[in-house]
Amino acid sequence: MTTQNQDILIPEITPELKRGPQWLQDKRNSSKESYNNTPIPRRGLHLWRYTDPTTFVVDKAEVADATFRTDLDNVIESELALLQNGHSSAFVLDKAGRDITFNLADNLVKDGIVISKLSDAVETHSELVNKHLYSQVNSESGKFEAMNSALWNDGIFIYIPDGKSVAQPIHLLRESGMDNSAQFPRLLVVVGKNSEVTIIDEYSGGSETQSDNMSLTNSAVEIFGDNDSRTRYISLQRNSEGAKVYLAHRAKAQQNATVLTVPLAFGAAVSKQNFGVTLNGEGADSKMYGLLFGGGHQHYDNHTLHHHTVGKTTSDINFKVVLKDKANSAYTGLIKIENKAKTCEAYQENRNLLLNRGCKAETIPELEILNEDVICSHGATIGPLDPEMIFFLKCRGINQTEATRMIVSGFVATTLKQVPDDLKEKIAEFVTKRLEDI
Amino acid sequence: MSDIKPILEFKDIHVEVEGKEVVKGVSLTVNPGEIHAIMGKNGSGKSSLSNALMGHPAYTITNGEAYLKGKSILDMEADVRSRAGLFLAFQYPLAIPGVTVANFMRAALKSHRGADADMSDFRKLFKAAMADLSIDQSFATRYINEGFSGGEKKRIEVLQMSMLNPAMALLDETDSGLDIDAIKIVSEGINRFQNENNGVLMVTHYQRLLNFVKPDKVHVMMDGKFVMTGGPELALKLEESGYEWLNEEKTGV
Ligand SMILES: Nc1ncnc2c1ncn2[C@@H]1O[C@H](COP(=O)(O)OP(=O)(O)OP(=O)(O)O)[C@@H](O)[C@H]1O
Ligand SMILES: [Mg+2]
Repeated sequence: MTTQNQDILIPEITPELKRGPQWLQDKRNSSKESYNNTPIPRRGLHLWRYTDPTTFVVDKAEVADATFRTDLDNVIESELALLQNGHSSAFVLDKAGRDITFNLADNLVKDGIVISKLSDAVETHSELVNKHLYSQVNSESGKFEAMNSALWNDGIFIYIPDGKSVAQPIHLLRESGMDNSAQFPRLLVVVGKNSEVTIIDEYSGGSETQSDNMSLTNSAVEIFGDNDSRTRYISLQRNSEGAKVYLAHRAKAQQNATVLTVPLAFGAAVSKQNFGVTLNGEGADSKMYGLLFGGGHQHYDNHTLHHHTVGKTTSDINFKVVLKDKANSAYTGLIKIENKAKTCEAYQENRNLLLNRGCKAETIPELEILNEDVICSHGATIGPLDPEMIFFLKCRGINQTEATRMIVSGFVATTLKQVPDDLKEKIAEFVTKRLEDI
Repeated sequence: MSDIKPILEFKDIHVEVEGKEVVKGVSLTVNPGEIHAIMGKNGSGKSSLSNALMGHPAYTITNGEAYLKGKSILDMEADVRSRAGLFLAFQYPLAIPGVTVANFMRAALKSHRGADADMSDFRKLFKAAMADLSIDQSFATRYINEGFSGGEKKRIEVLQMSMLNPAMALLDETDSGLDIDAIKIVSEGINRFQNENNGVLMVTHYQRLLNFVKPDKVHVMMDGKFVMTGGPELALKLEESGYEWLNEEKTGV
């Protein structure tokens, strides 16, 4: 297989995608055109310095039907149990973006909350979908966003009407197929005025070994938080070792809306993730607390964006990275404050902990502050564990390995504070597992 | 009394940090039940000596011997020294983000007791030790030393000592930064800990602490050496007259 610097065009949109209203077909077609007419980004170009763009090219015109990991049934069972016990409000299983099943708590339906296939929502909630779909992630976002925009099939639509709050998290499990699969999942969330919701968006599966087999997940997420809404979105990428993942996320916070975004990444061979929030109404607040823990030869390329388009808005990012073995990570964080957006506050911090020689991290803060009337700060560190901390713990009898585990667990604990308890335990397990063989 | 094994004994210790010799040949014997104090000007090498004895990798012992209950400790890692019974209360205790005082203390105690030890009594012991030092229970779930006041950090150090109950405690300025009430509480903590089987070596700048915790011997450190040793009265004299007369005594003879 050779795909090196070789572009592969999206052929005609297949008949199964030629459904829905004309505007959607037009969008798909223009996205396809855009993809085909956009050259593969050159290495070294902005945001492509660290990752080979050809990683995300679909190298076969036809990708085989996906097969799924064998323990998926057990996972489904335990997720349904969580739903039954009232720990979650909904469990949605999205297999390869194609086969999506929904399990909702009764009260959700009573409250008029909608969780459905995007292809259905195009008909049932045409106005909302027409307004918001492609409003934030579209062919102008980039070549691979154009690819998803043309090829998604199917997606998930979540709508929380005004004044409703969903007490327990909505859990989406986006299961990728194993070898020779490419999936283009898509999510559109509309959170109404003064509404509240927590969404756990979990990506798993994919090729289990690093090989030449195609195993691509190219996902697009758009979230719209209307006035006074409170949205918590937790993205948990725990794909299998051979998976390649491209995640594009954008959220918009209207007046006095708050958005908490928690990008968590533990999986995949190559993962390029892009999380961004636009602060689009006075009083809007965005907090982003990210964590990734890489090992082996994993490669992570992370972007975050906080875009203040309106004054009196606040944002805070704390993105933490732990690496071991030969894993590497790059973080590019952009804070953009428009000229008319006065008296904003924006903070950004990126801390990278390297557990051994051989792993590598880079950090590039980017600031585009177009007015003076703001408070803005950013900080970044890359380094090994603090030897003074290790010494302190050793002085109390704790050995080197245990001391390392404690410091790393402490490092991640402050981020895990942000996630619901059930998930916290699950993530603590990932961390513990990663720390087993240090 | 020559059959009594010293708790801590070190001979002709030289310490280098960043390529500079900062401790230049010091010797000391702490017998069971004894309390020793080290006084001396800023920068004279007191903390360097304490850190080196505890096994801090930045403080290299270039020469000398050190024994804990008769066992040589210089080849041991810091955690092994701790489990062997040596304790250092830091002059500047470090914060560890995300690690709660309770988890920290539990891990420390477990490491001393052994991996398979029963820890079911931990909560009770921990609560009692906190109460003894008038530490509010809310500290249990706070991240260790993060945002603690100077005095709170010192109390937490004494808490660690009282729970680990070491054979030999090195206390590096555990009295500094304490208010008048706190110095009493901390002194009481040290006195509760101290008994005829263990040893205490306190680094201090102030006579105040020594009013509460009576030293058997006071050593004065200058420029990396012990230049004088005496009883508690030496501390009083230093408090009165400072260190200058020592210089005169040293050079003027
Ligand atoms: N980690 C270090 N790196 C470089 N120099 C050091 C380090 N630790 C100590 N020193 C130097 O060694 C000398 C002794 O310092 P030390 O901290 O031992 O003094 P001290 O007697 O404890 O002083 P104080 O009373 O102020 O606590 C000083 O000159 C100090 O600058
Ligand atoms: Mg000192």
